[in-house]
Amino acid sequence: MACKILTLVEHESGAIRDTTFELLGLAHRLAGEAGWSASDIKALAIGQDLAGPASSVAARGAAEVICAEGEAVRDYTCDGHARVLESVIGAESPEIVLIGHTPNGWDCAPVVAAGLGVPIATECSNVAFENGRPLFTRKAFNGKFIQVVDLGDARPKVATVQRGASPAFGGGTPGTVRVVPAGVAAGELRAAFAGVKKGETGAVDLTQASVIVSGGRGVGAAEKFGVVRELAAALGGQIGASRPVTDMGWLPHEHQVGSSGVTVNPKLYIACGISGAIQHIVGMKGSGYIVAINKDPDAPIFGVADVGVVGDLFEIVPALTRAVKEAKGQT
Amino acid sequence: MNALVLIKQVPNTDSPFRINSAGTWVEEGNLTYGLNDYDRYALEELLRLKDAGTITELVALTVGPERASSALRTCLATGADRAVHIKDDALAAADPLSVARAIVAAVKDGGFSLILAGLQADDDNYMQIGPFVARLLGRPCATAVMRLELRDGATVRVERELENNRLQIVDLRLPAVITVQTGINEPRYASLKGIMAAKKKEIRTLTLSDLKLDAGAIAAASARFRTVRLAPPPKAKGAEILSGPADQVAKELVRRIREKTGVI
Ligand SMILES: Cc1cc2nc3c(=O)[nH]c(=O)nc-3n(C[C@H](O)[C@H](O)[C@H](O)COP(=O)(O)OP(=O)(O)OC[C@H]3O[C@@H](n4cnc5c(N)ncnc54)[C@H](O)[C@@H]3O)c2cc1C
Ligand SMILES: Nc1ncnc2c1ncn2[C@@H]1O[C@H](COP(=O)(O)O)[C@@H](O)[C@H]1O
Repeated sequence: MACKILTLVEHESGAIRDTTFELLGLAHRLAGEAGWSASDIKALAIGQDLAGPASSVAARGAAEVICAEGEAVRDYTCDGHARVLESVIGAESPEIVLIGHTPNGWDCAPVVAAGLGVPIATECSNVAFENGRPLFTRKAFNGKFIQVVDLGDARPKVATVQRGASPAFGGGTPGTVRVVPAGVAAGELRAAFAGVKKGETGAVDLTQASVIVSGGRGVGAAEKFGVVRELAAALGGQIGASRPVTDMGWLPHEHQVGSSGVTVNPKLYIACGISGAIQHIVGMKGSGYIVAINKDPDAPIFGVADVGVVGDLFEIVPALTRAVKEAKGQT
Repeated sequence: MNALVLIKQVPNTDSPFRINSAGTWVEEGNLTYGLNDYDRYALEELLRLKDAGTITELVALTVGPERASSALRTCLATGADRAVHIKDDALAAADPLSVARAIVAAVKDGGFSLILAGLQADDDNYMQIGPFVARLLGRPCATAVMRLELRDGATVRVERELENNRLQIVDLRLPAVITVQTGINEPRYASLKGIMAAKKKEIRTLTLSDLKLDAGAIAAASARFRTVRLAPPPKAKGAEILSGPADQVAKELVRRIREKTGVI
């Protein structure tokens, strides 16, 4: 048995995540570019009792879904998943392996690559053939630049792919499902799953806010947050933050907006001194109207904002607070 | 028990970044450097275990050019006991797997029960070195850890950060490799006393021949990880930028916010 592209199915207790279908969308485009057939695309699901969810993957772009099942891999552990991936990749010898750049994907994918002795391109925003070679586009320097990587003659070429990098696969002939034993015994694993829990929460619930004024590292210090606070108060809104702000303890964790914090969708989101890293943007891009204030004209936040001001937040934000109060007749 | 922290010296994020003439990385000349932010958190986590008496010896290791020794000095000044600097011209353009192999060659017999690294380096953002080292040493690994607790001499319980403010709890059998997410703790700064004491601590330098590694093999592996180009990100359509005096811009913002959102 062999295939050209193997994608990893991302699921949580059987619920398939969108990433899975996006990877299949990407796989089909790559197969088209390389002149491979749709029957060369397979997906691997690891877990227990997967037949049901696997059939929905087979219906949406995988010629075959291999379900590697076993009690020892019912819940995700890096050790368990990596062992299964390594053995299935060994058996299928794909040219390209695509894994979602999710907390579980980025956890096990490099372990698998090292086990196979091949390099890996992580957090790719795109994979595409150029002059007959697959090139992997990813961010470097926290998004200041994109880096395009050629993995040479590595076989397979392994990549983790950002969410949203590709549209989901649109249709096609349904594939088949094959259940195989995971081949991993709990006793040989050096990692044991012990549960999933909610992170810290507090009195503030940003998910319900209709106005959020957020401050980032650009605010500079906990005691300088006053300007952000005053604007939020003038607008009757809540205070949000980027990760460094909560990491450094300027604000409690519950204020953190982004992939590892909360996802918000207020009518108005004002980002002050926030560069606009992808992990922040995924948490606020659904906001109705986005205002960005940043002194760097190249800050990626301006790419998602509706309106922006390039300048010092310590000038712009107080001026905006005054203008809001004036407009509300509070001065 | 003994512990190792893997560290990298990276350009400070507010450095003036310019793409080099080959278009493959940044111009190094005009950058200033410091210890990778994630690694400060990794170091702090181990210093706490050392303060508690759980860790006897704490070693910091880096693979990097001459300038990287100052990042090791920072670790020594903050409380690491000794340092290892793998330094060889043949590693200057090495791929991440070769960097991991060099680390493994240096530490494989070191008896480290815990190896900590950062979740990612702030320059390349690869998120690879920790898991690579784990696999090459045949040890379990967990990434993006926000809490770490030694249970007994044999296991460590970690909480891995997931999305949407959730955490996965995993027990790893020691020896293990863990990568640390920012915010796990509050890193300390070196004291004056620490800086003085660091001057007497050892930084051991190792070359490829000390590690019995072959420059040819590294060049071959690095050909499988070639940066074709580094470029500014594509410009998104993006925001309309308002300019002018602050008060005027503020009035214009209020007008738009009122019109588009009705919240004022
Ligand atoms: C797995 C993972 C999960 C993550 N989860 C999250 C998350 O949930 N939420 C999140 O936010 N981040 C998250 N991050 C971190 C993210 O990658 C970025 O590091 C972070 O969002 C950067 O925050 P920032 O924009 O405040 O800081 P920086 O990127 O340092 O940007 C500061 C900005 O302030 C501007 N500035 C400075 N001074 C001024 C001034 N006086 N006036 C105006 N502008 C000024 C600068 O031009 C710069 O653009 C995560 C990272 C990882 C790896
Ligand atoms: N050259 C290096 N020497 C030692 N440790 C490194 C090196 N590069 C990366 N690391 C470690 O691996 C982590 C992740 O780096 P990266 O895989 O490059 O994103 C860093 O935070 C360091 O802890």
